[in-house]
Amino acid sequence: MNTQLLPALPAGSRDRKGPGSFRARHRRRLFRTDLLTTAAWASIAAAVALWLADGGTSEFSTLAGAVTALGIVTGLAGMDLVLLMLLLAARIPLIDQTVGHDRALEFHRKLGKPSLYLLLAHGLLIAIGYGMAEGLDPVSEAVSLWVLVPDMWLAFISMALFIAVVVTSLVAVRRRFPYEFWYAVHLLTYAAVATSLPHQFSVGGLFAEGTWQRWYWLAVCIATGAALLHYRVLEPVIATFRHQLTVSRVVQVAPGVVSIEMHGLRLNELAGAGGRFFIWRFLAPGLWWHPHPFSLSAEPLQFDASGRGLLRITVRNLGRGSAQLAGVKPGTKVAVEGPYGIFSTAARSRDRVVMIGAGIGITPLRALLESTPFAPGQATVILRGRSEQELYLGDEILELARNRGATVFHLTGPRSARHTGSWLPDSATDAGHRLADYAPGIADADVYVCGPGAWARNVLEDARAAGVREDQLHYERFDW
Amino acid sequence: MQRISDPRTGAEAPPQPPSLRARTFSCMGTVVSLTLPSASGADELVAATAVVERLFAGLDETFSLYRADSEASRLARAEIKLPDASGEMRRLYADAVGWRLLTEGAFTPERPDGVLDLSGIVKGYAIQEAGTSLLALGLRDWCLNAGGDVLVSGSPGAGSPGSGSDEPWRAGIVDPQDRRTLIAGYPLGGANSANGANGANLALATSGSAERGDHIWAAGAGAGAGARAASGVRGAPAFRQVSVAAADIVTADVLATAIVAGGMPMLDRATDGWNIEVLAVQAGGELLATPGFRR
Amino acid sequence: MRIRAAVSAALASAGILLAGWQSGIHLEDTRSAAASTSAGTNGATGTTGATGTTGATGSTGATGSSSSGSGSTDTGASDKGSSAAAGTDSGAAAEPTTGAAAKAGGTYAGSVVQTRFGAVQVQITVKAGAITDVEALQLTDDDRKSIQISNRAAPLLRSEVLAAQSADVQTIGGATVTSVAYLNSLQAALDAANL
Repeated sequence: MNTQLLPALPAGSRDRKGPGSFRARHRRRLFRTDLLTTAAWASIAAAVALWLADGGTSEFSTLAGAVTALGIVTGLAGMDLVLLMLLLAARIPLIDQTVGHDRALEFHRKLGKPSLYLLLAHGLLIAIGYGMAEGLDPVSEAVSLWVLVPDMWLAFISMALFIAVVVTSLVAVRRRFPYEFWYAVHLLTYAAVATSLPHQFSVGGLFAEGTWQRWYWLAVCIATGAALLHYRVLEPVIATFRHQLTVSRVVQVAPGVVSIEMHGLRLNELAGAGGRFFIWRFLAPGLWWHPHPFSLSAEPLQFDASGRGLLRITVRNLGRGSAQLAGVKPGTKVAVEGPYGIFSTAARSRDRVVMIGAGIGITPLRALLESTPFAPGQATVILRGRSEQELYLGDEILELARNRGATVFHLTGPRSARHTGSWLPDSATDAGHRLADYAPGIADADVYVCGPGAWARNVLEDARAAGVREDQLHYERFDW
Repeated sequence: MQRISDPRTGAEAPPQPPSLRARTFSCMGTVVSLTLPSASGADELVAATAVVERLFAGLDETFSLYRADSEASRLARAEIKLPDASGEMRRLYADAVGWRLLTEGAFTPERPDGVLDLSGIVKGYAIQEAGTSLLALGLRDWCLNAGGDVLVSGSPGAGSPGSGSDEPWRAGIVDPQDRRTLIAGYPLGGANSANGANGANLALATSGSAERGDHIWAAGAGAGAGARAASGVRGAPAFRQVSVAAADIVTADVLATAIVAGGMPMLDRATDGWNIEVLAVQAGGELLATPGFRR
Repeated sequence: MRIRAAVSAALASAGILLAGWQSGIHLEDTRSAAASTSAGTNGATGTTGATGTTGATGSTGATGSSSSGSGSTDTGASDKGSSAAAGTDSGAAAEPTTGAAAKAGGTYAGSVVQTRFGAVQVQITVKAGAITDVEALQLTDDDRKSIQISNRAAPLLRSEVLAAQSADVQTIGGATVTSVAYLNSLQAALDAANL
């Protein structure tokens, strides 16, 4: 077994049901996915239906009315998308356990532009439609709306904030600014939503007092706010106080890579998280406000039945924030939230499993290999790094694989300069090797991929070429 | 006389309810009641009822589509043509077509399958003729109710000492959701109405989409009804029951039928174009009413 | 599986939209009754030759032109009726209201118009850009001192109708009852009592 830490048995035996039940579980997860997809679309339809139920179609009898009506519909749909985005980012367990944190955020990002366009169209169409009805040009109409109608100035500010949030969130911009700046701008989303609310209820006749539409919209907005407050604020605070994590030591694993060990309480509740990640905040000056998403690099070690014990994360010096982590002093308190994501047994749909990791992305695989059920011979682990030193925790994985009957490949060497689409070292590519050569049964296996974005894309491409279906692919980005 | 009391309020009846006498007979698939103040005398009521019954029976023989040998049935089977039909048939048909124009197609004497169907107007016509006969008999105070359509003359209190002879007949309107209760009341006649001097409404007709609704057809494709009329009656009818109070029973009967068929647009046209009062029960049970039906 | 999601999402959305649309149609109809007051005024204006007021509306410029434009279509749809009334009102009151102010809300009084019900002055209440109430301010009639502005049917509660339950009735009106149904009807009870 492991040489450094003794693994604890996961709290629940749910994840130890063993091979065979994966397909049923997978079907249930797909059902939940479809249910959530349906609910999301239905919510947009419901937003439009609110307007239809108010006899909205009668407004199409005049051009000005039609433009205004379109403006109202785009506003309703846009706001609904914004609420969906907030829900997707709220880390609600149902969503997290169904589509996973990464895919939820992917949808969240995908909705960014459409919702902005809808809200922009809302503003423009309303200004044009109202203007036409009054014989004013849209600019004068916008000015008179700003000046004369209560709460409308807030709506203008909200619009500006939404534009700022989406523009800064676009990947290109995000690359140019540090993560912290992007994160701070993202907090403006809440200001944008908050400033947009008053005019929806005071100016829009649809949500006038005494209408059932007003109650529905209020309920939806309050439910979204409550979900955010509960899952993004309350739960983390509760978890932090519950587990009382304190850094006990920081060990250099390789150049630029450290393992941080923490001791705390009730760690049995955190066991079995496999490759799922937690968000850590080290409560030290200059560090406390920066959230770090890392997986456990080993199952928590428990000293006694009460769950007192140790847990460990392994961190590589990637950004300025991560670099500071190497200097964390023992005794530092740690705030924790999670676990999040379905880079775990929850995503399993087959009996066979293939895990492919690169660099620091290997560490979540180690925890996954430790906890996910498989019969001897049904698991393959492929580790990729420039050198043996970069195969972090490679020894531990080898030890685990030996004990559980998994096959391990170490693929080392610089990234191929000649074959840009390859995830393998030059030597392997030259020899004509592909993913299927390392894992022959891959077409009927769950494939877990964890590593840098560009590399992971190449792996996924290779896996699809080997006949792996989309719902068998589980990957976690490790850009930051 | 029967007192319909409200269980909620338990209100007391007026001190001296008028004493009435009623006779009924069955015709046109329903029951016709003639009510007279008891001061008129029993013989008078028997004679009057006989006149009314004969009149109803005669019209039923001509116009009933349920009798295979009636003139209406032979018209429907195209055994005879309209120009060859009786004068009464042609006159009633002309009236019905006139109403179709006035109601922009909401009221029509033809079923969607093209069969001539005057049943929407025959009963009103029969009540009107019966009323004329009663007046010709010299009766001033009476109430004629044929299957829920009411025509009155004079006052129920006439002749009974102590009560003024100007009080109206009070008609209750049945709740379509619970036919054992009333939703509203409406005063008919009264105050010298026998002379028709004060313009009080003498007739109250009610049409429903729930009961014997076969003779009311949604006017979706009606000539002038247009898209809004069509949207008003698409799917379920907009109204479960429509009561119309008017000066004459044919107008009340036809417009009640037309509003059930033509929905909200027809209701607006009717209240704009005729001096009538309307109480409409919408599909969901909500009420729409003109001022005359308000307290 | 994605097909199942797409199909169920499409079905659910279509169902919700359809339900909304259907209830919207229902509302349009009741609205036409509520807004009818103004429409009725408009029609009466034309017939009684009080079109002078409409002319005055035109002269106020932008506001008037937009309202008369929408009023000129003759479909008789409810909302047009009300918008026309709004135009007349703001024009007659000679208030330099921008529409934005009207959207914010307020109460506007119109000019006195001759109708077949007598002289009428209308007051409209605007809330969040929509006319929420049309009210007759001044009503005179030749022989009746006060009269409803319109004979249109308007929604009312069951408790508001002319009380029937507590009063005696001598006859019962209702949709035609068959001879069989008559036996159990209220009219039969009345007749039996008077036989």
